[in-house]
Amino acid sequence: MNRTALRCLLLIIVFSTSSACVTSNVDQMVFNEPTEGIGDSSVVILGRRHASDYETEPDFIECVGDHIASRDKSITVIGELEFINALYPWFEPRTAPLRPSDIDKLLLQEPVAMKMAELKTEYMIWIDGSTERGDSAGSMTCAIGPGGGGCFGFGTWSDDANYEAAIWDFTDRTEVGRVSTSATGQSYMPAVIVPIPIIAPVQGTACDGIANQLLEFLSSEY
Amino acid sequence: MSRSMISVPEGRRPALTLLMLVLLSACGPANVVVEGTFPEPLMEPLPLTMGIWYNEDFANHEFFDEAKSREESSWIVKTGAAQVQMWDKLLEGMFVDLVHMKGRPGPGQMNQVVDAVLIPHVVELQYAIPAHTNVKVYEIWMRYRFEMVTPGGKPITEWTMSSYGKTPTAFMQSDKGAVNLAAVMALRDAGANFATNFTRVPAVQEWLQQKWQKPARKKTAAKVSP
Repeated sequence: MNRTALRCLLLIIVFSTSSACVTSNVDQMVFNEPTEGIGDSSVVILGRRHASDYETEPDFIECVGDHIASRDKSITVIGELEFINALYPWFEPRTAPLRPSDIDKLLLQEPVAMKMAELKTEYMIWIDGSTERGDSAGSMTCAIGPGGGGCFGFGTWSDDANYEAAIWDFTDRTEVGRVSTSATGQSYMPAVIVPIPIIAPVQGTACDGIANQLLEFLSSEY
Repeated sequence: MSRSMISVPEGRRPALTLLMLVLLSACGPANVVVEGTFPEPLMEPLPLTMGIWYNEDFANHEFFDEAKSREESSWIVKTGAAQVQMWDKLLEGMFVDLVHMKGRPGPGQMNQVVDAVLIPHVVELQYAIPAHTNVKVYEIWMRYRFEMVTPGGKPITEWTMSSYGKTPTAFMQSDKGAVNLAAVMALRDAGANFATNFTRVPAVQEWLQQKWQKPARKKTAAKVSP
């Protein structure tokens, strides 16, 4: 491989592994924090899906759950789909409890109460929010011909993530905390023959931010 | 015999044919056969032997939307198989016994003995994709009509019910995949709506009261008589 090709390859690797900056902000308001963690109980993280113009992304909920479970192995996080399937039809967007007090009504049904006891759910965390694409600018032209193809131009866009997590204590049927996070970042895509995306990991940063705060609440190690 | 202007080596012909077919398939309507898995409802089953009759239109339900401009594509959304799968699973969990009828209940139709027969219909289906609405969600909206009849075909009641499903846009997710997911969500919502509201339909409530009072009266009468 000649030196020019090697340089090009190096440049591509550098650009593709680099990422744009993200600004993140986390707020929390917590009461009745468990001092010794949640023990052998489990926690379930669910996405709110009531709004008509956005939907809390299932992969964001999975990201938060994975982050918590990987940092503290003693915490059992029940998967969102597993939980809503096990309790169908009581946690669908139409039927999901909106207030902690609604759980009482739900538990009046014996099969639901038995399933909840079986799952040992101590905390139920509802996450509401989404990552939205903001302003975008620039232009890019791509062409293809007999001799090959390529792109030329520059594009940039911003992403904004806003999420809020409400923590419900399942035993006391009360809300014991609220954590919110917002993250914003600008992504770039210069293209000289090959487009090189420099993506701002906005949703990932929001996920880490909210998951770390939830870990402080749930884990005895943090 | 005249030779064609462009000659293709024998070995490459199948590959070229395949390529042409792939390119031509891109010109047709977007075809979505709804596929998904549906959970059993977690509830105390009602002590009823319910019959179910899916007519041809319902079991093979499909929705066709023709493109309104050259930029848009036509859509065919086939929900029939998924509808039957979901309603079977739901009703099996909602009632002590679910029986599939041999034919539509009516005079002269020999059928199994059941308390009542449900006949679902999809009256309307609408969909929206981000290209239509500029909102980052795919949506499916359905309206059902339910007939509840006696095994002999006599109407007990009928009512309508709507369901809605949406799914967010996701990286590397095709329009077809997202519409399928939205349809699965709409079917789940239909199941949730039906399961939680069936006994609240006024005519159904009345029918249930009559049905459950009759045996109680008989028992009381038996006790009273010497």
